[in-house]
Amino acid sequence: MTDALLQVEGLNVSFTTYGRTRQVLRDVSFSVAAGERVALIGETGSGKSVTAKAIIGTLPNAATITGGAIRLEGREVLHMPPGEREALKGTAFSLIMQDPLSSFNPVFLIGTHLDDVMRFADRRRGVRASRAERRDRIAAVLRRVQLADPERVMNSYPSELSGGMRQRVLIGLALLHQPKLLIADEPGTALDVTTQDEIMNLINQLVREEGMALLMITHNLGVVRKVADRVVVMHHGDIVETGDCHRILGAPAQDYTRALIDAVPPLYGPRVTTQALTEGAPIVEAGALTKTFGRRRSEFTAVREVSLTLRKGEIFGLAGESGSGKTTVARMMMGLLSPTTGQVTFHETPAKGRPLAQIVYQNPGTSLNPKRTVAQSLSVPLKALGKKGAVRQVRMQELMALVRLPVSYLGKYPHELSGGQKQRVAIARALAAEPKILILDEPTAALDVSVQKTVIDLLLQLREELGLTYFMISHDLSLMRNFCSRIAVMLRGEIVEEGATPDVFAAPEHPYTRALIAAIPVISDDEERMKPAVTDEERARTLVATTV
Amino acid sequence: MQQHPMVAILRRLGAFILVLVALSVMIFILARVVPGDPARMALGPAASQAQVAQLRAEMGMNDPLLSQYLHYAWNAVHGDFGMSLVSQRPVTQDLAETVPATVELVLASVIFMFAVAIPLGVLTAQYRDRWVDVLGRLISLTGVTIPSFLVAISLQLLAARFWPSWPILGRLDHGLNFHGGPTGFMLIDGVLAWRWDVVASAAQHLILPAFALSIAGIGQITRITRAAMLENQRKDHVLTLKSFGVPERVIVFRYLLKLSSIAPVTIMGLEFASLIGNAFVIEMIFSWGGFASYGLEAILHKDLNAVSAVVLVSGLFFIVANLIVDVVITLLDPRQRQKGGR
Amino acid sequence: MSDAKMLLDASDREMSAAYMMWYRYSRKPAAVIGTLIVLSAIAMAVFAPWIAPHPKDVGTVVNFRARHHAPELAHLFGTDQVGRDILSRALFGMRVSLLLVLGVLGISVPVGTVLGLVAGYFGGWVERVITGLTNVMLAMPPLVLALAVSNLLEPTLTNAMLAITLQWWTWHARLIYAVSKSVAAEDYIEAARLSGAGPLHILFREILPNCVSVISVKTTLDAAFVILLGATLSFLGFGVKPPTPDLGSMVAAGRQFMPDYWGEVLCPGAAVLYVTLGFNLLGDGLRDMFDVES
Repeated sequence: MTDALLQVEGLNVSFTTYGRTRQVLRDVSFSVAAGERVALIGETGSGKSVTAKAIIGTLPNAATITGGAIRLEGREVLHMPPGEREALKGTAFSLIMQDPLSSFNPVFLIGTHLDDVMRFADRRRGVRASRAERRDRIAAVLRRVQLADPERVMNSYPSELSGGMRQRVLIGLALLHQPKLLIADEPGTALDVTTQDEIMNLINQLVREEGMALLMITHNLGVVRKVADRVVVMHHGDIVETGDCHRILGAPAQDYTRALIDAVPPLYGPRVTTQALTEGAPIVEAGALTKTFGRRRSEFTAVREVSLTLRKGEIFGLAGESGSGKTTVARMMMGLLSPTTGQVTFHETPAKGRPLAQIVYQNPGTSLNPKRTVAQSLSVPLKALGKKGAVRQVRMQELMALVRLPVSYLGKYPHELSGGQKQRVAIARALAAEPKILILDEPTAALDVSVQKTVIDLLLQLREELGLTYFMISHDLSLMRNFCSRIAVMLRGEIVEEGATPDVFAAPEHPYTRALIAAIPVISDDEERMKPAVTDEERARTLVATTV
Repeated sequence: MQQHPMVAILRRLGAFILVLVALSVMIFILARVVPGDPARMALGPAASQAQVAQLRAEMGMNDPLLSQYLHYAWNAVHGDFGMSLVSQRPVTQDLAETVPATVELVLASVIFMFAVAIPLGVLTAQYRDRWVDVLGRLISLTGVTIPSFLVAISLQLLAARFWPSWPILGRLDHGLNFHGGPTGFMLIDGVLAWRWDVVASAAQHLILPAFALSIAGIGQITRITRAAMLENQRKDHVLTLKSFGVPERVIVFRYLLKLSSIAPVTIMGLEFASLIGNAFVIEMIFSWGGFASYGLEAILHKDLNAVSAVVLVSGLFFIVANLIVDVVITLLDPRQRQKGGR
Repeated sequence: MSDAKMLLDASDREMSAAYMMWYRYSRKPAAVIGTLIVLSAIAMAVFAPWIAPHPKDVGTVVNFRARHHAPELAHLFGTDQVGRDILSRALFGMRVSLLLVLGVLGISVPVGTVLGLVAGYFGGWVERVITGLTNVMLAMPPLVLALAVSNLLEPTLTNAMLAITLQWWTWHARLIYAVSKSVAAEDYIEAARLSGAGPLHILFREILPNCVSVISVKTTLDAAFVILLGATLSFLGFGVKPPTPDLGSMVAAGRQFMPDYWGEVLCPGAAVLYVTLGFNLLGDGLRDMFDVES
């Protein structure tokens, strides 16, 4: 193993917060050979990012390395003098940052960032170059990351570029020095599926062309299959297993890895949802909804002429990427927002004082008031229904049982709960109001895959037990395929395709639907082959809004 | 999407004019309605009922309030604030003579503030928890907590003890035969008249009061700069530059400094109100003879015309300062230019 | 959210909020010192009649034989121009300062908080009226307005309070408005509204608890500013009426005998500094404790 480019050996890291110490990495060992592509995979709290930060040297202050070694090209970096370690940055390895907006200083031009990085890299290598020469080289790099107009990019402030463009610039930054190892920490996580897919393709292509080694930190198994030769699976600070990518995805040796793989909703084959999904009477009907925001010159049409019918007992899914107008449609249909033109008809009127619909939000961190206990949050809808004293207490306990949480959690504050637990409380609060419809606004997007699965299972059971109708908004088509009975796809404020879920997936008609399905990261080669074909021309036509 | 900076600035200017109008209404109520009978106050208790009635009529006080206000505002726009009871001259004339002195003092102390506080804030953030930081924080804490009159008096005491020849009162040595120039700023008028003795004396006189006036602001701005630097140091973009080998000093003095100066400049706009307030104290202690001294005199003598003009001009100071702050912020921060365009 | 951040959060999950706050507070010696100073200042003010060495000197006592004494054992801060004990008068002066704080903040904090909450949550014309009003009020220097108002009325403690309060609420309203507006945009507020909560419940049960930390930090720091403003007012001659002792007017009185009897200026001045320093340190400590951004 002496020829390994990066070697991590017996790494131990602990965090100290509020005077208490916990170990977050235990004996982590793995290596990356020259030109090899390795994925470090794990869920929240697995320690994958901590490992990456230890390698780069950017651990938070609360962290201490308590043992082990990290070697880059055979040289131990942990005990290097700071100056020497700095010099490795950008030359021995480069980093692709995770969040493309906060990765740039908002009051400086993109070009300034790039020029400074190149200027000091040149200086360290003793290269003398004029500003104009550097500009040409930067433009060349930007073209390599498929930014068609480098001049415009350089003359823009970070906030003036799209997320995808910023992510490309960040990749370009990593390429400036032609490093031997590229470390990518969940690149593109904050971006739309289609953009994320393109970013992965780009990284993949560049790594192959340059013969660089890649260490990809990710939680997404589909990404792993796409870019990695070898996989390191982490869980709670331990390495669970290491091995060839196909072997691990096809025949994992460990139960944890198997559970991780099983939690990913399949894109083809039998659907996870087995219950019969019926088509009932219309419950809400929307006719030609249009919504415009802003005034005069800044006027902007978020939704254009959308007509939809929600039927009793179904699970309807509205798919689309950010800015497609899907959330606006959902809000108008539930009477939370009034349309500019068009009308909404409710076929079922709720009992007095009872809302027709409740919302389960995407981010469990912001959907519960941090200053109120679970019991206090649940008591609001119960009070509104006139439930008092012992009746309210009993109902609260019922609700906790319904979402499979112990009654003792009623006294807890949100910060004492995990993401999945918070989402259960949010569901319980929505149910407390006894609605007919639940709007699920990306209810699992902020959760780990394994937690995602338990929340989805819970929602399916609840629907059966309580006879609810679900209206789901999501960008995650593979999730929707397994969960929804009927879906509609939105693009730039309009519905481009609508139908029963199996039909839409079997034969997607609109090129945008095909592009969305094609962009889903899948974990088996069979699934990859079964994806619909999208021509470059179609891609260009539908995706022009998200990338440039 | 991009909005021309000028549009944003004009928009703010409109908002400020509205503030000014509202301010004048408040002052009108304060000066004309609250005190009861200004005519009686002007004439004193010895005047007869008939005299008061006559003055009331002359002052237009029998008209409806709205027309009184419009009359007042019309005159104010034309620079007419009426006669001062104390000086027996038009208030506008008094203001014209006293305002430049105050502006000179305030400008000097604003320059002082930024010159001391920004470097101090950067240093304390850079050497966090080391002796430089502890010392800097002590200085800024003192600046925030100490009453400005105590600073001013202490400075006078120190000067009197250790450097008796240093001037501690007034704007200029009495021996110099100089009666001001076109701008009213002693330093500039001295330069214009080629009187270097005047410039030197004016500068000497200016240093202590300007320093005393700036102490509170130095404390506040140092704190804010330090907090902004520390907060921005933790941001991802610092990590981006660091992990691509851009040296620390470039990151701090180029990238962080510009980003972290937005907060202190913004605060400066609000701080301006207490700066003007403190000028009243400092001018009194140093016998500065500016507009604040004039205002204090007017308040003491219940000179209503002068008082309302002084309060209005104080507000105007604040508004102009904030307009300048807005322009600076718009230039510093491209995100501000994009706002409102969407 | 990055994995490392999640790990940090996960370890926080096992601790109570109270423990975390206590931990942050106890790590700051400055905060502890600030608490002690503020408590001692309050004690001095409350117990002034019992701990002052010469409690009679608070009134119109004249003792020309003892005038302008330098600090000595009998008069730790010295005596003033008519021979009164400066320490005793300073202790009583602290009473005036703290009463002023109580009066000003006792009115302007609740008023500012309610207006800020309302403006931030309801938006629309309510928001425009309240923020417009605060913008106008803030354009006037607090000292100048207070001078003008207290002069139109009679210079007493109550009127000084009134004059300062007239503007002070706007600072709170502005701050709470900003917090309230950002909290009002959170999902949990919409969720509460959807599940049938009324506006009063949302304002005072959902939004207000999220403002408590900001309010307490601001109120503590403001106490120092109110003391400064009050002292400045009375220094300029618009404070309480003599012979009631007041720190600002004591400095003004001592100033006439400068530079010979400088202690008469610095001792009451130091008393002001002592209290403002305490409130500032305490406010900073609370800010760290609540983890509030400045």
